[in-house]
Amino acid sequence: MSYLFAHPLHVAALGAAHLALVATALAAALAIALPLGLVLARREHASNLVLGVLGAIYTIPSLALLAVLVELIGLGSAPIFVALVAYAQFVLVRNVIAGVRGVDPAQRDAALGMGMSAVQRTWRVIVPQALPVVVGGVRVAAVAMVALATLGGYVGAGGLGSLIFIGFTIHHTDEIVAGSVAACALAIAIDGSLRLLERLVRVN
Amino acid sequence: MSGAAIHLSGVRATYSNSTRPAIDAIDLDVQPGEFIALVGPSGCGKSTLLRTINRLVPIEAGRIEFDGTDIAGLDPVAMRRTIGYAIQAVGLFAHMDVAANVGVVPSLLGWDRAAIDARVDEMLELARLDPRQYRHRRPHELSGGEAQRVGVARALAARPRALLMDEPFGALDAIVRRELQHELHDIVRGAGTTTLFVTHDVNESLLLADRIAVMNAGRIEQCATPLEVLADPANEHVRDLFADDAAVAKLRERAKHG
Amino acid sequence: MTISRARALALLASLPIATACTARNAIAVGSKNFTESIVIAEIYAQALERAGLPVERRLNLGSTQIALAAMARGDIDLYPEYTGTALIDVLHHAPIRDARASYDYVRDEFKRRYDLVWLTPSPMNDSQGLATTAAIAARYHLRTLSQLALAAPRLRLATIPEFISRPDGLPGLQRVYGGFRFKSVHVYDIALKYQALLTGNADVATAFTTDGAIVVDRLVVLEDDKHLWPAYNVAPVVRAATLAREPRIARVLDEISPRINDERARMMNAAVESRDRDPADVAADFLKGAA
Repeated sequence: MSYLFAHPLHVAALGAAHLALVATALAAALAIALPLGLVLARREHASNLVLGVLGAIYTIPSLALLAVLVELIGLGSAPIFVALVAYAQFVLVRNVIAGVRGVDPAQRDAALGMGMSAVQRTWRVIVPQALPVVVGGVRVAAVAMVALATLGGYVGAGGLGSLIFIGFTIHHTDEIVAGSVAACALAIAIDGSLRLLERLVRVN
Repeated sequence: MSGAAIHLSGVRATYSNSTRPAIDAIDLDVQPGEFIALVGPSGCGKSTLLRTINRLVPIEAGRIEFDGTDIAGLDPVAMRRTIGYAIQAVGLFAHMDVAANVGVVPSLLGWDRAAIDARVDEMLELARLDPRQYRHRRPHELSGGEAQRVGVARALAARPRALLMDEPFGALDAIVRRELQHELHDIVRGAGTTTLFVTHDVNESLLLADRIAVMNAGRIEQCATPLEVLADPANEHVRDLFADDAAVAKLRERAKHG
Repeated sequence: MTISRARALALLASLPIATACTARNAIAVGSKNFTESIVIAEIYAQALERAGLPVERRLNLGSTQIALAAMARGDIDLYPEYTGTALIDVLHHAPIRDARASYDYVRDEFKRRYDLVWLTPSPMNDSQGLATTAAIAARYHLRTLSQLALAAPRLRLATIPEFISRPDGLPGLQRVYGGFRFKSVHVYDIALKYQALLTGNADVATAFTTDGAIVVDRLVVLEDDKHLWPAYNVAPVVRAATLAREPRIARVLDEISPRINDERARMMNAAVESRDRDPADVAADFLKGAA
């Protein structure tokens, strides 16, 4: 813990880099998962297939996936970024599908019958009502990504993980603890803010 | 503005997961401002017929005309905005308040804010809901009857030439249902809106309709005034539908005796 | 979304890209994943910074292979490497006894094959070795590697992944000394290699002769009596392209390297690993002229 108090700015800088990595990966993951989920929500067979594949990816040990990605892409933030985006898909896509399918069929029917185009119905009715479930998925994914991103420290991506792994290498438990505590705090903060967001977008 | 004329000839529609048509050989001539009730047992195709008119169900044979124009040539989205649509589950948008719900179609049509607000108040009053109390309520805060009133207000907000209703009062208790039936009758009479009304409650049809289209197994058995349907049923299906009811029997007697 | 909000978002999104671009002008100093490599890399990094050059650190990357791959890809511009490791493990050459000859050969081949430049080496010799506790050395009469070769079947080895496969690792020992069939061989992460020995889970551990633990834990390093291991002098290895872009790197580091000797290396390692000092602070002290 004393490292944390002795080098607060350094840890904060690493924390900021960690957060930036998670945030950009989350944004990229959503950019894929949202349209994918919207399309799959209407297709029973395709969604089962895709979720099966994403679930399989999710069970690949993260270090193994990371090693393969480093071979392909190199060291730094790139391989961990890809790994984060890949792992997040399972939770995000599943929640988008659940959120969309959870929309009241009567409201879907009314929307169409009243003269909304498919696009209007998607954005004016389906998305606002699927939002709480989607945000819930984002919350779960984000917290998992904070933990996963610590592996980035192993491949030169910086962030709080680098503090943990250097601490490991030079036999300094202080650094390990500092990195872990900071990562924990970051995860809790993200979880808290997204819970707040979840409550804000709640429909009733 | 008077209601539209709706004309169906030779209409057939089949659902993709079935080989038998849901409706077949449908001929129906609805005059402007007429109130037609569609009745029949479950699965007879009455909802399907209703939904072919606003193209929620595609037809595979025949022709549907809306005010003389074949609807196949019209943009379905634009057309639906000129037809009111109210369903049993109401389908009020849970994330919008009552005012936003009622104003949906005017907003889709691009009315300006002031016009929408005025119309919303007007429709809520027409539906016997005090605008000041109800404007900002959320759908989950409404009772069944209140929700359906909002549903009707929403369906009529953009001054549609026709109104399609699919068992709108089916889920309500008898007292509320009776109130809404009378009010609906007055509203659409006053506006001259052509109305097609699906119901499984034959009493309701007798009360509201100018003509009743009795359906069975995807076909219209008879389309006639309440009196004619009672006094002169086309076949046993029609007769049996209106059979078990003391009040109906009385009506039938009255009809017979002039 | 208003235009100003969209513009703000675009700016925000471009920040990581912008920082990545500016960072590429910085010299990326890498290190392998053990304390000494990190400390020496810090020394190089701080020396360059003091000369006014922009530096980015990418320490603790991994093994020799990973570091070289990073160099090839341009993920790092320079890192500390050892002549012996380069000779045997990378170039797959037989050991060269003479330290100077070994360095010359390595320098020429790395330039020729990989377009990497070896700067002035340090006198520090971080040779590979095998270490054991004083107690075990006494019990089995172990002073040289020849003796250990025969005693191995009764002993458990704790080692690191590299040691099992590199030609100057276990295979080299078996070839030069014969024997060296340990009762068991367990692989640990490089940071844990002494822990097994010190907790009694192993009898012999792979060592590096400038490890701080040797001094602190009073370990016995067995004598390489048949001279399997050549010199392992550390030197900065730099990408030729980077050096061409920034020749000051050579001037700065050539001035530093001669000052890194065995004594200083061991003490810096001990300071970090046993006295909990920050590698950056230890490197700074070195550069200031203190021990």
